[in-house]
Amino acid sequence: LKRTVEEINARIKSGDAVVMTAEEVIDLVKKDGLGSATEQVDVVTTGTFGAMCSSGAFMNFGHSEPPIKMAKVWLNDVPAYGGLAAVDAYLGATETSENGKADYGGAQVIEELIAGKPVKLKATSHGTDCYPRREIETFITLKSINQAFLFNPRNMYQNYACATNSSDKTLFTYMGKLLPNMKNATYSSAGQLSPLLKDPKLRTIGIGTRIFLGGAQGYVSWEGTQYKTNVPMRNGVPSASSRTLAVIGDMKQMSTEYVRALYMHNYGISLSVGIGVPIPVLDEDIMRSCAVPDDQLFAPVVDYALQSRNRKPVQEVSYAELRSGIINIKGKKVRTSSLSSYFKARQIANELKRRIEGKEFYLTQFVQGMPEERAMKPLDVHSYEEVA
Amino acid sequence: MATSRYLLYFNPELINEPITYRMVKDFDLVINILRAEIDDTGGKLMISFEGSPQQIKSAIKYLTDSRVEIKELNEYVRKDAERCTDCGMCVSICPVSAFIVDRTTWKIMFQSDKCIACGMCVDACPTGSMTLGQ
Repeated sequence: LKRTVEEINARIKSGDAVVMTAEEVIDLVKKDGLGSATEQVDVVTTGTFGAMCSSGAFMNFGHSEPPIKMAKVWLNDVPAYGGLAAVDAYLGATETSENGKADYGGAQVIEELIAGKPVKLKATSHGTDCYPRREIETFITLKSINQAFLFNPRNMYQNYACATNSSDKTLFTYMGKLLPNMKNATYSSAGQLSPLLKDPKLRTIGIGTRIFLGGAQGYVSWEGTQYKTNVPMRNGVPSASSRTLAVIGDMKQMSTEYVRALYMHNYGISLSVGIGVPIPVLDEDIMRSCAVPDDQLFAPVVDYALQSRNRKPVQEVSYAELRSGIINIKGKKVRTSSLSSYFKARQIANELKRRIEGKEFYLTQFVQGMPEERAMKPLDVHSYEEVA
Repeated sequence: MATSRYLLYFNPELINEPITYRMVKDFDLVINILRAEIDDTGGKLMISFEGSPQQIKSAIKYLTDSRVEIKELNEYVRKDAERCTDCGMCVSICPVSAFIVDRTTWKIMFQSDKCIACGMCVDACPTGSMTLGQ
């Protein structure tokens, strides 16, 4: 059986499309077999909700009277990047407030804007003939400004390491609080619900793919930073962090239900982003990968006590083991915590399913596919001559 | 049998009194010391009592009469259900497994009756949903 995105969209329009979440098709394939499941289902919805540090917002504030060419910009005392045209700025999620609050930063401002709260805008400038004003302080809301869109350079990691700590000190990391002597391990993937694990070669996801982003309809805009394909595979799926996507979407349509500010104690700020991707069931191969369950999806266990980019995985564990609450690392029972919310991932997959069934969300044929091969480069210290 | 947890404050004069011993000896309670601190303002003891409601009542009376300040620990640590995103970071941090993952809904349940108010979940929670009372 073969289907096209056009045929699926026609079925969505006529109300005949069969949409199921990735969890639901796992059971369906077990019950009815791969061939029958492929025939029955048109779209599989996926979801993920986790810390995605490489996120941020572009904004245009509108022009003041007299106008200003904003050079330095702060939102609730959090610096935003103003090295763009006069009243454009980019607020990075992990930027920390300059008022001394370590647990307040770009992500918190983004959440407050989405919640509809007023935010203090301050900007300074050297003043020009066409932009004479040298400073401004005012309050804005998401409604009062012209554009506000999340443009996240690296989201939706296709798999990620499980972190543990063999040292005798507690470590505070972007993977959360890691207790000494491998007393716990943390992981951050929705596993069997996670978008890119369900279409591992990105056969249906590319530039222009419409997605659920923070409650809004967003789009895949580019390959994500640190996108890589040269990783170990298990059951046809990467068993280490691999592909990523850059995504874009209108903040004005988003909800704090699906975008949440985070503070990792003694590490810093991050943003939890909720993303759902619909996967068109074009053929049996797509359905096969959509139905890979947690016990066949693996993540590497990495010891964060080693402060090096070259740390090698201690072993691999399945998402079924991780989700059971206890994994076995070299004979030691280690308790696990998820940093991404499986509850939210499921909520997003269900919400996306509801929107497709309700004809509010149509699928897209991408404009351009993602790179088939890509290795990730390290950064070393070189002289000008060495790299010239 | 009932189990209750209390925070006991001793003023400096009471520090040499064998109050915990009396709990066992005179009131036949099963006690478990969860945390103990002494500084120049006196002592602080977090303790759980297991016994019949009558035994616990008598013990509380004895403590009050001895001028020990008592606070029952029911909701010492609170979870803000609105802020919590049910990620589960707290689950492996808690030394007494007070957080349970509901395997049907995948929501994180906080069993406050198990909580020993150590506060380890407070700085581990990425959304700031856990707060420590006084």
